Amino acid sequence: MRLKKVMLVFRKDWLEISRNWQVILPIVILPFIFSVLLPILVSMVPGSTGTSPENLEEITRNLPSQVKNKLVGMTNQQIMFYITTLYLFAPFFIIIPIMAPSAIASDSFAGEKERRTIEALLATPISDTEMFLGKTLVSFIPTMTVTIASFITYSAIVNLYSTTMFKWKPLLPNLTWLTMIFLLSPTVALASIGLTVMVSAKVKGVREAQQISAVLLIPIIILVIIQASGAVFIGPSMITALTGIFAAIDFLVIYLGVKMFRREEILSKLA
Amino acid sequence: MSVIEVTGLTKKFGSLVAVDHLDFEVWRGEVFGLLGPNGAGKTTTIRMLACLISPSEGSARVNGQDIVEEPLKVRETVGILTENPCLYERLTAYENLDFFAEAYGVTDPLEKRERIRELFDFFGLWERRNEKVASFSRGMKQKLAIARALVHRPPILFLDEPTAGLDPESSKEIRDLIERLSRKEKCTILLCTHRLEDAEKLANRVMIINKGRNIATGSPEQLSERITGQPVVEVKLVKLNRKVLNAVKNLSQALKVESFKDKILITVENPKSATPEIVKGIVYAGGEILTVKTLRPSLEEAYLKLVKGESS
Repeated sequence: MRLKKVMLVFRKDWLEISRNWQVILPIVILPFIFSVLLPILVSMVPGSTGTSPENLEEITRNLPSQVKNKLVGMTNQQIMFYITTLYLFAPFFIIIPIMAPSAIASDSFAGEKERRTIEALLATPISDTEMFLGKTLVSFIPTMTVTIASFITYSAIVNLYSTTMFKWKPLLPNLTWLTMIFLLSPTVALASIGLTVMVSAKVKGVREAQQISAVLLIPIIILVIIQASGAVFIGPSMITALTGIFAAIDFLVIYLGVKMFRREEILSKLA
Repeated sequence: MSVIEVTGLTKKFGSLVAVDHLDFEVWRGEVFGLLGPNGAGKTTTIRMLACLISPSEGSARVNGQDIVEEPLKVRETVGILTENPCLYERLTAYENLDFFAEAYGVTDPLEKRERIRELFDFFGLWERRNEKVASFSRGMKQKLAIARALVHRPPILFLDEPTAGLDPESSKEIRDLIERLSRKEKCTILLCTHRLEDAEKLANRVMIINKGRNIATGSPEQLSERITGQPVVEVKLVKLNRKVLNAVKNLSQALKVESFKDKILITVENPKSATPEIVKGIVYAGGEILTVKTLRPSLEEAYLKLVKGESS
């Protein structure tokens, strides 16, 4: 495998994508909602989370003792802000690396088929592995960039409000968030992108690829619901375990993606 | 010396046999035409030779490399103009060539810049190099796509329907460019077309294929003569009489003589040497000539006969 060729595919695709607002917007909008609008909403109207004192009690009951200890002495408003911004919203930042690259990854091969540019690309002496990795990378790098940027923005906004609410004590970053953003997010992103690129190579059009890859969101949405209900606490150890699982999935996806990459099959699916 | 050797090349898509045991050779420096109606198997043949799809049976060597064993090496040595221009419309013309140059291994910045400049100059696109391809006309896109196929100086060029979808003026321009190109770049060209004009004007040799099978191979002239017969000299007179007709029939080079009103049609082997003899004979016999012209059987007639014959 020649890294230069991988980067060549990446550069070409990025140049194209950066000039296509239909693909760029989904990468930007979702992280903006999660990182800017959500913390502002929670901070401005603490009661708007819709959580009653009874529900609050139920959520805090399921929290591990080390978190419960941190809540001692806090007002209800502080507890709500603390739990919502640090724990309930955390899984949303796992949705970003899944949803943000969906448009780019779906477009990777299916878009080239729709625009009828794929044949010339397949005719080049770029190997299957180089092409697959190049197409994966063009979704992965922007995704991780917006995920990290969203995390920084979110942390800044949360800390801004926490200065008044918690007397200058910044809440983020903490170990849970750091492991989630820098360990779990890349592995989740890679698995989701790899699978979507694989689907994109197999189907005829971008819409088909997007619909199939949307199914990938279901397990993560279940995770978000579980976390939001307070049934499970996602802490650093769970994140590390999930990272291990997703890393194994990543290897499998990349291996299968390259193995199942068939130029002939791609050509036969020209719209 | 052959640079493309094809032996028993076959491609099946389920029960459909798209290419059926093709055998042919393309010699270094020649323009070899693959001529046939739509769906004859021309594009499938080119795709197999460019290692885009694999053959079901048979083998082929392109520039000495086996298409199944060494697909990457084959791709490095060929340039391909696909049926569609396959250009990135959001990129500029320069960005398109720049990407493909690197993809084909032209990585030295100076060499790459010079080659791109040379191609833009040749195709008359230098002034439009920084414009997005989306704003180009179909003819300009086709020129750019040919330039892309040539960017790495391939010794072998596959051109799949280079004039398809173009207006007559653009078609002629592309044909002239290919003609100049084959002389300037000195590369072997495998031209795939359903346009007889393209094959007749550009190809040294032509293979007519239908339903994936080779029907006939030869130079356009050879095929025309073989299928539709020898050339005919047509002489139009002020008035045709028996004396003139007998004089023509007695000429040594006249193989067959037919007359219609004041016109004589003389089948000959070599019109160049026969025409002066015919004119002299008619004038000596007292005939007054209005016009003389040579009627050559066209490739079109040969093609239609062959393809119709196959279909029936």
